[in-house]
Amino acid sequence: MTTTIGARIKSLREQRRLSQEDLAEQFGFKDRQTLSAIETGDRKVAADELLRATQIFGVSIDYFTDPFMLAGEGSFSWRQTGVDGDRLRGYEESAGRLIAAFRTLARQTGREPPLIRPALSLSKQSSFDDASAAGERFAAEFDLGNVPARRLADVMAEKLGILVLMVDPIEGVSGAACRLPELDVVLINRNEIAGRRHFDLAHELFHILTWEKMPPEHVEEIMPKKRSRVEQLADNFASALLMPGAVLDRFGEWGGLTEGKLVDRLNAVADELLVTSQALRWRLVGMGRLTRAQSDAISDDGLRNNGRAKPGKPEAPPLFSKPFVQIVAAALDEGQTSMRRIASILGLPIDDFAELFASHGVEAPYEL
Amino acid sequence: METVGDCFIETQTGSQKRRPEEQIDSDVLAKTLKAVHGVHDADHAEAVTRDQTIAYLDDGERALWAHAISRKDAWVLCGPDKSSLRIGIRLGLRDRLVSLERLLGDVGFRPKLDLKTPYTQKWLDQALAQLAQLEGK
Repeated sequence: MTTTIGARIKSLREQRRLSQEDLAEQFGFKDRQTLSAIETGDRKVAADELLRATQIFGVSIDYFTDPFMLAGEGSFSWRQTGVDGDRLRGYEESAGRLIAAFRTLARQTGREPPLIRPALSLSKQSSFDDASAAGERFAAEFDLGNVPARRLADVMAEKLGILVLMVDPIEGVSGAACRLPELDVVLINRNEIAGRRHFDLAHELFHILTWEKMPPEHVEEIMPKKRSRVEQLADNFASALLMPGAVLDRFGEWGGLTEGKLVDRLNAVADELLVTSQALRWRLVGMGRLTRAQSDAISDDGLRNNGRAKPGKPEAPPLFSKPFVQIVAAALDEGQTSMRRIASILGLPIDDFAELFASHGVEAPYEL
Repeated sequence: METVGDCFIETQTGSQKRRPEEQIDSDVLAKTLKAVHGVHDADHAEAVTRDQTIAYLDDGERALWAHAISRKDAWVLCGPDKSSLRIGIRLGLRDRLVSLERLLGDVGFRPKLDLKTPYTQKWLDQALAQLAQLEGK
């Protein structure tokens, strides 16, 4: 906590472009070293100094002490359609609390963040083929199997240390990638149809793995008039990861099928691979397994909802994720935070906790 | 029985975080409480710098702790949440942590319904032992 207060004082000082000497003077310290020791967490902050900090910066005490807040630390990239800026900022704050809770409580319960962050050796100069090849290799090297979508979230969490959270966001938000100094996070709207969810997950994975060289935009339209090159690279990576050539091989040739049979096959294979028929169609065109003329001959109507009359109610995966819920359960059991605070952060009444824990096969910490 | 303003407000604004929310008549509540205390920034600052993990609690819980540790007279904490119990142990206030079962027994009240496990003396004893071990006390 001393570190939290100190780090947030430092962050605000830098945001306001104040030197340590300037701020030390405002605190009434005799020298800069006292402030320096506070900022590094080497010196405890006294109550009157904390109050003084709130007056100097014009923020609440919580800003310096709340461990479940991202105080300007995270960079988000939102995948959304037509969400108003204020609403998105509001939701970003709520999502930031989930992420901050995981980060803080994981540390409190003795879990360290990953030491090393993986990255793809791609840049904006890379070709779409390079991005596709990277997606194919990812699926092979992480042994994603015959239906890569099925294991992707688990592999991202277990092998890469990425926090993947299934959430109920505000309307219009499909997902997001978030980069913190020590943690990568992907948020996915769990109420989307499975095909779209999986594509978003693979797409956001690309952003996480290329963040340093190709930082994504803060807000990304799902259906923009013109997609940026980074987004097109991400789409190619996602498409190849979810539908690698080796996986598609087992479904035979596509070229000689009549339009009706082609549509049926696209819908059936897309269902099997847990992707959308449209994504599969464009993947096949990209690979040269379908000609542009064949693709143009297919009616979009036949591929809508993977050939079903209605999308139906998607089977949403459980809220958040097993690693997240495990951390929360451990923290509650050890008394690291309170039920009510967790209820505030998760946006759930305490009476729903037992069901949440059960949905991930996690034992509830104590009677709730 | 006394409380702080934040806790009183939570009973009236749908912030109980329970399903279903219970309607508590504010007049009845006010009449049954001896006092509703205001908690000031200085109390919050004192509390959170005395024990950093008070910041890990919810608004009403934080305000209660900020008020409680500013008092010089005797008080007891009766609650089923391990986080406040752990703070109590860390602050050297273990003898102030009591179960609802014992509290009701001491005032001679026998509830018709069985208490939930975390309100019993047995649960409290086990929880305090676990948390004291985690605190190395």
